[in-house]
Amino acid sequence: MGKYVLKRILLAFFTTVIILSLTFILVKLLPFDRPIGGDQQQIAYFDKQYNLGYVYRFKLVKDAPVVEEYNAKYGEYLYRSPVERGSCFYYYKVPVMEQYVSWVKNVVTKWDWGYSKSFQPNVAASVIIMNRIWYSMRLNIISVIFSVPLGLLLGIWAALKKNTLTDHTISTMVMIFISVPSFVLICFVLRIFAYDLGWLPSTWPADTATTWTKIKGYIIPVFCLSFSSVCYYCRYTRAELCEVMESDYLLLARTKGLTRRQAIVRHALKNAMVPIFPSILGEFIGILGGSMILENLYGIPGIGKLFILSLNYKDYDILFVDMAIFTTISLLAGVVVDLSYGFIDPRIRMGAKK
Amino acid sequence: MKKLLAIVLALVMALGMFSAFAETAWDGAYMDEDDFKAYIAYDLDVVFDSISEQLGEENLAKVEAAVEEGKAAIDAATTVAEVEAAYDAAYAAILACVPTADGLYTYKKLEDSERTNILGILERYAVTTSITGMSLYENGAYQMINPRITLGTENYITGYGFGTLPEGAITEDLEYETNPDWARYYHIMETSDPGTLNAPNDQGSQVGDMYSYMQATFFGTFMNETKDGYDWVPELAKTKPEAVNDEDGDGMATTWRWEIRTGEDDGLVYTTGSELESRQAFNGRPVALEDYEFGFKLILTQANQFYRGSEFATTKTGAVVGAKDYYNATENGYNDEAWEKVGLKAYKDEADGKNYFEITFTEEQTRFYAMYYGQMYFYQPIPQEFVELVTVKNYLGFNEDTTESPVDNALSVGPYYLERWDSDQQVVYKKNPNYVFADTKYSIPGIHDKIFPAAASDKTATFTEFLAGHFDTARIPDEYLNEYRNDPRTHTTKGNSVFKLNINACDAETWEYMFGTDGVVKQTAKEDYWDIKPCMGNHHFVQALSYSINRSDLAVAKGRVPSVNYLSSNYMSDPENGMSYDATEAHEKAVAGLLEDTDGYGYSLELARDYFRLALTELEAEGAYTPGTAEEPTEIHFEIAWMYPTDEEDYHNQIKNYIETAFNDESVSGGAYKLVIDYWVGNTWSDVYYNKLMLGQYDLGFGSISGNSLDPIGFVSVLSSDQDISGSFTLNWGVDTNDPDAYPIVYNDLRWSFDALYNAVNSQVIASKGQNKPQLTIEYTPIVKNEDGTYTGSFTVASTLPDITSIEVFDIECCNYERYYNGDGNYDEAPVEFEVEAKGEGLLYVTFTVPAELAEDYATGSGTSAEPAGDTGFDLYYNLTFNGSTSNGLYYSVTDNFEVPEVAEAEATEAAAE
Repeated sequence: MGKYVLKRILLAFFTTVIILSLTFILVKLLPFDRPIGGDQQQIAYFDKQYNLGYVYRFKLVKDAPVVEEYNAKYGEYLYRSPVERGSCFYYYKVPVMEQYVSWVKNVVTKWDWGYSKSFQPNVAASVIIMNRIWYSMRLNIISVIFSVPLGLLLGIWAALKKNTLTDHTISTMVMIFISVPSFVLICFVLRIFAYDLGWLPSTWPADTATTWTKIKGYIIPVFCLSFSSVCYYCRYTRAELCEVMESDYLLLARTKGLTRRQAIVRHALKNAMVPIFPSILGEFIGILGGSMILENLYGIPGIGKLFILSLNYKDYDILFVDMAIFTTISLLAGVVVDLSYGFIDPRIRMGAKK
Repeated sequence: MKKLLAIVLALVMALGMFSAFAETAWDGAYMDEDDFKAYIAYDLDVVFDSISEQLGEENLAKVEAAVEEGKAAIDAATTVAEVEAAYDAAYAAILACVPTADGLYTYKKLEDSERTNILGILERYAVTTSITGMSLYENGAYQMINPRITLGTENYITGYGFGTLPEGAITEDLEYETNPDWARYYHIMETSDPGTLNAPNDQGSQVGDMYSYMQATFFGTFMNETKDGYDWVPELAKTKPEAVNDEDGDGMATTWRWEIRTGEDDGLVYTTGSELESRQAFNGRPVALEDYEFGFKLILTQANQFYRGSEFATTKTGAVVGAKDYYNATENGYNDEAWEKVGLKAYKDEADGKNYFEITFTEEQTRFYAMYYGQMYFYQPIPQEFVELVTVKNYLGFNEDTTESPVDNALSVGPYYLERWDSDQQVVYKKNPNYVFADTKYSIPGIHDKIFPAAASDKTATFTEFLAGHFDTARIPDEYLNEYRNDPRTHTTKGNSVFKLNINACDAETWEYMFGTDGVVKQTAKEDYWDIKPCMGNHHFVQALSYSINRSDLAVAKGRVPSVNYLSSNYMSDPENGMSYDATEAHEKAVAGLLEDTDGYGYSLELARDYFRLALTELEAEGAYTPGTAEEPTEIHFEIAWMYPTDEEDYHNQIKNYIETAFNDESVSGGAYKLVIDYWVGNTWSDVYYNKLMLGQYDLGFGSISGNSLDPIGFVSVLSSDQDISGSFTLNWGVDTNDPDAYPIVYNDLRWSFDALYNAVNSQVIASKGQNKPQLTIEYTPIVKNEDGTYTGSFTVASTLPDITSIEVFDIECCNYERYYNGDGNYDEAPVEFEVEAKGEGLLYVTFTVPAELAEDYATGSGTSAEPAGDTGFDLYYNLTFNGSTSNGLYYSVTDNFEVPEVAEAEATEAAAE
């Protein structure tokens, strides 16, 4: 078992490394932006890029043969300043692999994930993430607390009322609502409760808002974030419970004299929970991650929104830390879910040999 | 009798046949003879109108005669080719009537009104030759403002606004605001958190706009008493600039000074909203004289790596003496010695005991521009010890672990100071009680700037928030225009940029010259040549395109302001008094031709179709196109390049519809031609500029360019086809703007090229045959090897105006450029002997000789004879005195290689063995 756990963790680690490396290389291969303007603006811009370490700057004699050598080495120059006293500055993009090696070296040897270049200039990327992760976590914890019991209850209710009007109503509603993405839902909810009725804040209340406003500020995002989870748990629980309730051992339990309630609580629910519980565990781990679109739409300063912002700002150091967190969380959740099966149901032995 | 009748009948028939034959002799395909001739004759009138005002009596009479003769010749012509030839002859005759400008001219010191007239002349030329592109709309908008706000003025003032903050007031609480202290703050939004207020180190406009709430500098603007304009008033200064060295009394000087406020003498102090003890020490700290200098020093020191520092150092307009040298000398930090030579000084004048700030420019400036340039780059005074405390890196921003925010790392002397900065949530400013005009201006107690990212992806989000009472102002999106256009809360604003369809009107030959394999603008590989459309080179076709666009309809649908102007309304002909160039008579004359017989915004379907007929007649006569049939029309394709993918939906379909509707009408070509307009969209917004417009790879391209709105006459440089003048920012191509014959520009009874007159009005020009010419031209004759192994080469230096030019050649260096890269950072060079021979009329012949040993050494670079490396060349150093002004140490460089010595047999064997 220990060997299996180690193997899974190592595999998750290598997957993370591969994903981050690919992200780094692909993102750095994006075309270089340039400002619109004359030489004065171009020089100022490229000098700034040089100071940030994104470009090389060489003073060369205009069009001297060595320029071709530099072009061959670093790719076509990005910009050439006007000639002054026979020479001018040539700006070249720092090769991607060179940037990659330097980035990996800093992370591995100094745990230095870099600094924000434009989003919050000079602030450590890891600090920016840490400042924001709590907003995402709080929201997701409340969402899980809200969605899991509600989803399970609805699922149980539908299973117990199988093939009745209640079951059909719940199942139909679940099918409809599970198809609606959270960002579509939030638009409707905002329209009705924030703008038309004016009951709830239309954006995430700032830290300076009153406690009551802050509480109200959670309602819309938690509702929208929980919606699909509630539907998912409801559907899953109903299916599992229905299957268990038709099993022989439950029939046996009833024939032994257990009431329906006793049979369901003591036997059916326990067994139905075996496949459901790991996904709840995974959901709890997932609370560390944010919801990119929802956070952006509601203005929540979490790490999901940060991911989009860092892309927009081309602030790649933040993007890579954010990516690392998302990747680690999802892979870790996978590992924990797999392992949890063994703990929940002793019959399941992960990685055991025959 | 019968015989007589038969004869008469025969005569009548013959006459009828003759007249029928005479009618069919006209070969114009789509326009009858009279109309065609009328339009071509009208072109002569347009030429005459554009130059007549500036002609002297004698030349005016000659031109009038030439025009009349031309019209008569056009009238007498019987074919399209003859009409065109008659026009060309008349045009040449008109040109011949007016002498070209020759000599040294400068109109920089003329009165503003006269300079505005010259701008009008330049604009008229640009409009007529289509190098302005086709203007569509100005980015003004319909804006809704919360009625709780009393505006400074209900009518938008160009270049100033409604005066909301400085002169406005808020009379009611915002119900939505839960913090009672902020209920009367002005509530606005940003789509994103910029993370810093360090405007001097930022490239965009957002940080600068936010920084401006707490910034004060020497001079500011406030609304005038009549509330229809604004006045420039001293802010941190106490007086307006006075010239220090206006020796000729023309109102221009290089050195200007003005009185400034300090803490000691005027009670001016800094304010901070920080609660940190170390920062509180600066709350109420008096502004010292040295803080004024340090504010500039902070920006200009290269080691501080401020974006605006680099711009400040390299700028040509408003350049300050010594600024560039200081920037170059501060790679490792502040340099007091170098600072001594910078023309920025704050001092107490012992004579009158007053505090002054003095600025010395590299070129003479008027009082207004001295005032204007003295406060650029987001300058404000700041104490050096404060910057040392917070560090340059964290100045106006967060520190590394975010325990300090911009609230802690900024000091204000402006109308507001930072109260809170909740990252990605809100930025809050509070009224600064210590601001110079705190008692009389800025009565609104604060600004609440909400970070509202939804606005970035949803065009209607801000407006929805406004309607819900969460913000105080919002632009009305297109979808809501009809509903809210006439709402009492709606106000119209004017824009700061005109969006246009830029035109590539090059013919194949011109395009090849500019963008071909050896293009003067950009070199393009053969396989990437742009497919030049003959129709785009036809001036009447371009005119028809312009007439076919219903700007009013387009702009109204998009909530914009329709415009045919090249410059937006915020460009000032008299910046000191806030007079918009668009409101001047000079501008009205310049665009009169575009507006005549149209809806007031250059749209006329009738004219569009007439000009399409005219263009097709000409193009077909030239053989550029062959007509098709109604069943199989000849398709004419061209493409519009757009900036954003949404442009296709927002604009392309509508514009395509306007143009195709005009052209493809049966009445234009009877179905012989069909116009099809395609589109192109880039990946990022700048692609249309860098991949299309600036490379001539387009037919029509959407885009806008903005410059210094207080200097419109300097900004029109971007219309020049000369890349040195336009700063490589030409977006419209077609005519050579240094060709005075391309279309006549007449000023002061002389004929000019656009480039020549532009330079004359902005600085000075050496004009030769109306063209802009350099002070001198240098030609190099390649080296030849002599029998003794030495080499001889020569330079021929020619002055354009020999009477006022003298050149002193003082050195020629033989250079090995290759060793520059392998060595210590300076290329290897050695002086060579030279002789200067004056040939008269400003012509110098400079011969030089390179010793054999030096040639042999440099021939191989750091390589060997078997494997030579690198290039050699020659630098000609000279001093130039032009019109009494001397420039020392000028430099002209050429590359030329010596013969590589033959490889000796033993050396070759050795090299081969290696």
